[in-house]
Amino acid sequence: MTDTMIRNAQGKRPSFYETPPLDQMMSMIMVLAEEVSVLADHVDSLERVAKDKGLDLAEGVKSLKLDQEALEAREARRQAFLSRLFYLMRKEAAEAAAHETADGFIQTIEEIAVR
Amino acid sequence: MLNTFQQAQHDMLPVATPDEASRQEFTKSLKQFIQSSILPGLGPVYRARAAKKFEAETGRAPADRHDIRKAMVPDPYFQHYAAVNRISQELLWDSVIDSIDAQLPDLKAKAEAYSAKNPGKLMIPENFQVPRYVSALDIHCMPGGYAGRAGGDSVGLGVLYDRGVFLYAMGYTGPDNDDMGRSVCNYVKRRLNGFSPKRILDLGCTVGHSTLPYKELFPDAEVWAMDVAEAQVRYGHARAGAMGYEVNFVQGNAEAIDFPDGHFDLVVSHILLHETSGKAMPKIFKECQRVLAKGGFMIHADLPPFDLMDPFTQFILDNETYYNNEPFWGAMREMDQVQLAKDAGFPAETIRFDTAPMAVMEFAQAADGYSQEAAEAVNDREFTAGEFAPGGGWEVLIAQKL
Repeated sequence: MTDTMIRNAQGKRPSFYETPPLDQMMSMIMVLAEEVSVLADHVDSLERVAKDKGLDLAEGVKSLKLDQEALEAREARRQAFLSRLFYLMRKEAAEAAAHETADGFIQTIEEIAVR
Repeated sequence: MLNTFQQAQHDMLPVATPDEASRQEFTKSLKQFIQSSILPGLGPVYRARAAKKFEAETGRAPADRHDIRKAMVPDPYFQHYAAVNRISQELLWDSVIDSIDAQLPDLKAKAEAYSAKNPGKLMIPENFQVPRYVSALDIHCMPGGYAGRAGGDSVGLGVLYDRGVFLYAMGYTGPDNDDMGRSVCNYVKRRLNGFSPKRILDLGCTVGHSTLPYKELFPDAEVWAMDVAEAQVRYGHARAGAMGYEVNFVQGNAEAIDFPDGHFDLVVSHILLHETSGKAMPKIFKECQRVLAKGGFMIHADLPPFDLMDPFTQFILDNETYYNNEPFWGAMREMDQVQLAKDAGFPAETIRFDTAPMAVMEFAQAADGYSQEAAEAVNDREFTAGEFAPGGGWEVLIAQKL
């Protein structure tokens, strides 16, 4: 008997979607949601601990006036985040512009094999 | 009503780091959300489109829970419901395992120390065979199951069950996970004409959540807790010690109870029967009858049989069979338990189904996160299939040996 717990439950896991990878996608989304929730709890804890020590972070956050540098930094971060979030749409648009197709891709593989 | 119920910390529970605690709270919140906000949509989705689609394809309306299942499985709303419900269960156990893995050697040492503080016996027979209905699948998708793999005596699975079940039940069974035992105790005290048991056996006790209230509420009684899983029994004995109780724990099988005829005057079980099998249940009823003294009571608390519900409700409940590793969940609800009790030798006039009102209000304001209002809200709910625990009370099957 090792000193670590078993992580996988015995019993075939059902698939809920016609496309099985969706089951894994959904589990990843839920794990990410869990971590977002952990972070939100953590920020809340930080505010509460600071307040206990006489520093009202929540009030400070509320009354914070963003200067130009801060506005730009935030907007840049949000745009970068959105561009990561939608990277597959960027890719799709780029493929359309370059006329890249699945057939063309296979054709390239076949050509390289013999040339 | 916000559910802020918190489990009472006792010395056998691991201490979670803030992040572990947040993950655990998230899984509880997710379960609460699924049951209060996603589950209610299943009925409208079924009536508005799934049932109609089934009828268009087969030329007839869905007739029973099996038809309803066929109609719902392809529906995207149901798929998301079932997938997220399953995922919440998996995340729940995983979030608790993180705490246990980090502290396992310490928890084992503590289990020995607290076991020594429980004056009750701890009996682990040699070469005990865990029945297949417990070992074949990890029930509730709890990794390792109740009994672990061959040779597994780790108390870790007891810890996992103790903490995990609190989250699974979202605290509805109280800060010590003991509402079922407490409710049945209240029922015995208030509804059985002054019957006061002297020797009590709790079958399928796992870690003794439901067992300890019997010692608390009948302090002069000799209380025995029995389960097929060594890890649960060992942990249960230690947990009782940590909580200051003298309760005996024995690894044993309810199909062949290793006690003499007429030995007990109260034999109880709490959500045990649906985790056994079609062959085991009649044997368990017969054994209950055999080990009871004349005048003694058998009480099994579980969910109600299917014949008391409409097919859609049956379908919702039956999801546990398919998606939560509960192989006997559906079939058990089709068994005629009153007949089983008759066949076991209990006189027909003593056998009945009844409701043991939930004791959860009695915890109110005595524990973290349990306000009077919130506890009452748990109790006042209508029975809704798919939620944890019926509102109002636990369904009990009672029979008396005359």
